[in-house]
Amino acid sequence: MNLKNYLKDKYIYFLIISFTYFIILSFMWGFKVSKIVILTLTFLYFMLFFILFLIDYLRKYFFYQNLQINLQKLNEKYLICELVSKPDFIEGTILVDTLYEINKSMSENLASYKKQNIEFREYVELWIHEVKIPLSALILYVHNHSVSPKILKEIENIDEYLEQILYYVRSENSEKDYIIKDVKLKQVMREIMLKNKNVLLSKNISVQIDVDDICVLTDYKWLLFMINQIFSNSIKYMKDIPNKKIDVKAYLDNNKIILAIKDNGIGIPKSDITKVFQKTFTGKNGRKLGSSTGMGLYIVKSLCKKLGHKVEIESKEDEYTKVILTFDNNLYYKDVTKM
Amino acid sequence: MKKILIIEDDEIVRNELKELLCNALYEAICIDIKENILEEILKIPADLILLDIGIPYINGEILLKSIRKSSNIPIIMLTSRVGEIDEVLSMSYGADDYITKPYNPTILLLRINAVLKRAENKIKETIFYHDLTVDIKKGVVKKSDEEIILTKNEMLIFLCLYEKIGSIVARDELMTSLWSNDEYINDNALTVNISRLRSKLRELGVEDAILTRKGQGYILL
Repeated sequence: MNLKNYLKDKYIYFLIISFTYFIILSFMWGFKVSKIVILTLTFLYFMLFFILFLIDYLRKYFFYQNLQINLQKLNEKYLICELVSKPDFIEGTILVDTLYEINKSMSENLASYKKQNIEFREYVELWIHEVKIPLSALILYVHNHSVSPKILKEIENIDEYLEQILYYVRSENSEKDYIIKDVKLKQVMREIMLKNKNVLLSKNISVQIDVDDICVLTDYKWLLFMINQIFSNSIKYMKDIPNKKIDVKAYLDNNKIILAIKDNGIGIPKSDITKVFQKTFTGKNGRKLGSSTGMGLYIVKSLCKKLGHKVEIESKEDEYTKVILTFDNNLYYKDVTKM
Repeated sequence: MKKILIIEDDEIVRNELKELLCNALYEAICIDIKENILEEILKIPADLILLDIGIPYINGEILLKSIRKSSNIPIIMLTSRVGEIDEVLSMSYGADDYITKPYNPTILLLRINAVLKRAENKIKETIFYHDLTVDIKKGVVKKSDEEIILTKNEMLIFLCLYEKIGSIVARDELMTSLWSNDEYINDNALTVNISRLRSKLRELGVEDAILTRKGQGYILL
């Protein structure tokens, strides 16, 4: 709010005031009032309005100026109500009261959605845990009664899709349900390998693991899920060649720990590479195979973001795909825990 | 025969677990889950307990805590919940291992075996087979003055077969055991390793130590 805007806003009053003045003036002329009286009255008349408008302007100026500056500085604009002081003029009071009411009703509305969201998330988690019980029964049954291993493969697929939705729900949520600790990459890789043992053996994919005794600070289960996603992509998009392979390598680089997973599969076309981390992006490879949700790498990226890791992808079509996870090597933390 | 107590509320999972354990030559005991299950558990002379976290009446973690107050029996927690927090909690209450559903049966058996061995403090350094002495730590097989070095893979295969001496060990079991020790070999390499182990044993005078059962696995005699 500035003076110009204020005056512009009040122009109709000025018209009326001027109009009234001319009527009074013509009356005074008609009654032959002396010039000195006319001048004095004119002065008093305009002085009166000047003072009235000045007071009005100043009151409003301080309130609105304050409001606008605060609003500009505020990141979460909906908190503006907390920053305004109650004004002493009617329009301002109405405005502030209205803002309060709007804010309150919006908060209530939002709270009900938040509650719904949390309830849904809890239900999804519970449901996944419930589904895992019959899945366990099925796996045990297949093992005990030597049923075709094809069924086992399908059950493992179901389990993988379940994990995906579980971690999707977790990655979308602001709650912290992870524990950061020193995780041995060797142990993670062992679990991944055992998990994928059957498919790796049946597809005859050789895996070279070179992670030494490197540890990273992360949540074990989340990292397991992320690497498993990357691995199952590598397995899914393998080329049909005799020496199918996946190389897993971990090394220190400038106080960071790099974990690179490289396969010699079908690779990713140049046009798709920038989009692979986007939600539901399937691209050329996904269309070719048909069974792609486009969620795997998106979830990996969101989990990385929450844990403070970095994930990148490099690829050449028909040659290789390399996924690189970067972890901070927090020497301070390691020194403290060693003590 | 080792006795394993299964505390699991899902009947099908329970029965299949029982069958799995019986096939692996354990004695499996199942009990119904009632309100005062703790007393009943403590009465059973089991060597190991498989305890499900999501059982009715009492949470598995609480039950674990109360068992630990009066018993040091090895306990493996089974759960369908996937989260680091549950695992940390269980381990801090004194569980010996923690396995999430759906579990791979072969891996479950391996972990049970490992926990039992650890509990008995029976991680042997040397074993005797026919007239041979196997030094596990050094990785050698000895017969009086002769000595042959076994590779890590050969030793793992030998131990796995020795564990179940006289009965069939499936290829998958051998594979799982090798892979759990960071030896990610393929089918051909396993066959090669077995024939090498066989010829090494032959060199020390044990003919036909390992029999092949086509489509089933191997037997150490």
